[in-house]
Order: sequence, then C-alpha cells, then structure tokens
Amino acid sequence: MVMGRAIVITSGKGGVGKTTATANIGTGLAMSGYKVVVVDTDIGLRNLDVVMGLENRIVYDIVDVVEGNCRLKQGLIKDKRFDGLYLLPAAQTKDKTAITPEQMIELVAKLKEEFDFIIIDSPAGIEQGFKNSIAGADEAYIVTTPEVSAVRDADRVIGLLEAHGIKNPKLIINRIRYDMVKRGDMMNVEDIIDILAIDLLGIIPDDEAIVISTNKGEPVIAEEKPLSAKAFRNICSRILGNEVELLDLDVNEGKFSKLLKILFSK
Amino acid sequence: MKEGLVSFKGINGGIYIHVKGGEYSSILEELERKLLESLDFFKGAKIAGIKGDSISREEKKELLNIMKYKYDLNVTEDFKEDPLDRPNMFEGIVEGMTKFIHNTIRSGQVIEYDGNIVVIGDVNPGALVRAKGNIVILGRLKGVAHAGCDGNTKALVAAYDLRPTQLRIGNIISRRPDENMDTTGLPEVAKVHDNEVVIEPYLPRK
Repeated sequence: MVMGRAIVITSGKGGVGKTTATANIGTGLAMSGYKVVVVDTDIGLRNLDVVMGLENRIVYDIVDVVEGNCRLKQGLIKDKRFDGLYLLPAAQTKDKTAITPEQMIELVAKLKEEFDFIIIDSPAGIEQGFKNSIAGADEAYIVTTPEVSAVRDADRVIGLLEAHGIKNPKLIINRIRYDMVKRGDMMNVEDIIDILAIDLLGIIPDDEAIVISTNKGEPVIAEEKPLSAKAFRNICSRILGNEVELLDLDVNEGKFSKLLKILFSK
Repeated sequence: MKEGLVSFKGINGGIYIHVKGGEYSSILEELERKLLESLDFFKGAKIAGIKGDSISREEKKELLNIMKYKYDLNVTEDFKEDPLDRPNMFEGIVEGMTKFIHNTIRSGQVIEYDGNIVVIGDVNPGALVRAKGNIVILGRLKGVAHAGCDGNTKALVAAYDLRPTQLRIGNIISRRPDENMDTTGLPEVAKVHDNEVVIEPYLPRK
C-alpha cells in the first residue's frame, strides 16, 4: 500500500504565512484530486479552521482524538467546498503540552493510511508545539518572508529539522514585493537562497487577494485571477513532481507596456 | 475479517467485554456472533461493561443497548458518568443556581457552571460558555454556547447580539451558516423545537 506524505509547514518566526500556506497547499492538492488532511498543531492559538472557514463545524479537536475522547473520524472536519479535503483542528482551550511528540507520530501514522497528503501547520517558535508538529513529518517546507529576521529564524529551524532527521527541507518565500526588490529595498530570492542554501519550492507575491480570501475563510488558490493563487498552484504542481517555472512577478509591467517597450527599444 | 476484536473477561462484579480496535461494524458482528454461540451462558450472567479506548462512548452505549434489548441480557453498566445521560439532570432553568460573570470572555477561555450563566459582557469567537441551565449574554455572543449541557433540551440561550459560531442545547448542535448571517439587530433567544435549534426574537410581540 502506498502511504501518504506527511509534510510540516514551519518557519520559526510568527506571521510569515504558515497557516495561509497550509490552507492553500492543502486545498490545491485536494483540487488536483488527492485525499488531503490539514492538521493544525497550534494548540491554544488555532487559526487554520478560521482561514479555511470551518470554525463553526468544530466539535472535537486534535487533543480529543489523541486522548481518545472521540474516534479519529469524528475529529476530522470535511471541507465545505472540496471533496477529499479534511481538517483536524487544534484545541483552543488547552496548551501545547496537551499532546506529546510520541502521540503525534502515532496520529500521523494513522492519517498516512487514509490520506495521500498530511499537511501539518506548525506553530511559531521552536518549543514543544514545534517539536510536536515535526515529530511525525517526513518532509518540511520552510516559509519565510524577505526580511532578515524571518530568514534568520528560518535558518535556525532548518538546523533543528536536520538535527531531527528531516533532510532537504524546501523553501517558500512569501510576501515578495517586486517593486521593492527592483529598487533594491527588499532582499531578493537569490539573496535568501544564498543564505539558507536549500531548494526553492516557490515564491508568493504580496497580494491583497490573500487578505480578502483569508477573511472570507476561502483559500485564495481556488480563485482564477490573483497572482498569489497562481503562485500557490505552481507550488502544488511542483509538490506533485512537475517542473514549473517561477512566476513572473512583474505585475506593473502588463502586456501592453511590455509591448511598448519592445516597440520602442528598437 | 479481523478476528479477536472482542473478548470477555469475568471479574467478580460480572463480565467485562474488552474491545480492541477495528471498525464498529466488525466489532458488532463479532460480538453478536460470540453472544449467540453461548447465549444461555450470557443470559445467566451480569454484563458489567465494555472496556476499550478505540470505541466511542456512543458506540459503547449502542452495544450495551443491543445486548440489553435485543438479547435481553442483564446489563448493569449505566452511563452515569456521561453528562448527557445523567438521570438527575439540572432542572433549575426556571429558578435555580446562577453564576454572573462581569467580563469579556475571550478566545480560549471556558466558563462552566452547574447552573445558569449570565455574562455581562461579550463572548468572543473561540470562547466557550457551558452551563447545565440557561445562558444569557448581555452583549455579543460570537463564540460557542452550550446550554443544558447535561441533557436539558428545554434550556435556552439568549443574547443581545446572537451570532454564535456554534450553538449547542442539550445534545443538539447547530452551527452558524457559512454565508453572512442576517440579524435583526435585536436581542434573540435560541431554543430547541423538534430536535432543532431555533432562533426567535426576544420579545414575543412588539
């Protein structure tokens, strides 16, 4: 039997987009027809349910499942839009010590029998919650933003993952602003990869559409137009083993202006 | 089919049924088969309960009920510890013990009381208010409220602004619609009618 892939999405630093990335990648893979579960391990500060718009369906959570207050199936919440997509929410009224890495390993092993992908949303920090989140994972995706502090934390986390036996984590650079990079006011992709020295999985532009979709509780990836949605679709495609070119983030330069440039450059 | 999901162990109080993992349907199948193999023996014995972490409380209850009513066995385990089945459920919803809370209840906070709860303040999303009696919120209810949590479906939830993530009364759960909820802007009361949570205006007639 083919077992599912357990992937943890982590960053060290908070607020860089782990939860957004988890929701979008999970949704994207489910849209491609895979059976996916997204797992929120941020106990006490759960958000993934809100971003996915499933908060009103929570009856049981990950702690109930781990403690045996309910069956695993009772804890899984079916997505409202996509078949094959499920959420295992975190508990809100407990804290990170409510589960142990050993319990996570057992839980993820069970999920791997049922699902093609287990996407685990990690909490910020490197303490117990982080240790829980990586315990059952086979692969790790690091989310960072083009800021020195986020990159520094990403570097620390990559080291911890390697010490834990998770080799070759992949990098997602979030919230890139092409205009700032062009002016030299923001770290560019090459700078970040140079520091972290890991493979790049994808880049996500800073995009208002993400804010809107997050507030609506519907991951942006299902929308046709936004650039960030395209970026996430590319990431999903790469996860599935396809070669996809990096997105051209030069949004200000539409087709028309490019055409003008070509015409006048002669 | 997997075998050995169900085993029997006699202890001085009676027979305990031990259940190991597996799907509920196969557990039930095996249990029924084993019962039928020596039904006379089981009829003379006391069934003291079901043990096993892999099956849920509801499923245990169902199995016990099957043994009790379908096979007419002497089942002594009652689900006293289950709040939803407690025979002496809280009745003081007209007049009874009440806790007053003068505070905003924030995400992650849980307020529980073995009586009625009145919150003078808001209940934010992610918060949980659980009472054996009624719940009255003099403010916005946006979190989860569970009234009559030991099984009293006559309990009610009232709020100045009733927009809960989820409402539970007794063992009935209802959730907020996914679309934006239209509210009257007036205080509202949630009650159970025909096994469903129904929201009504606060005043019968205006």
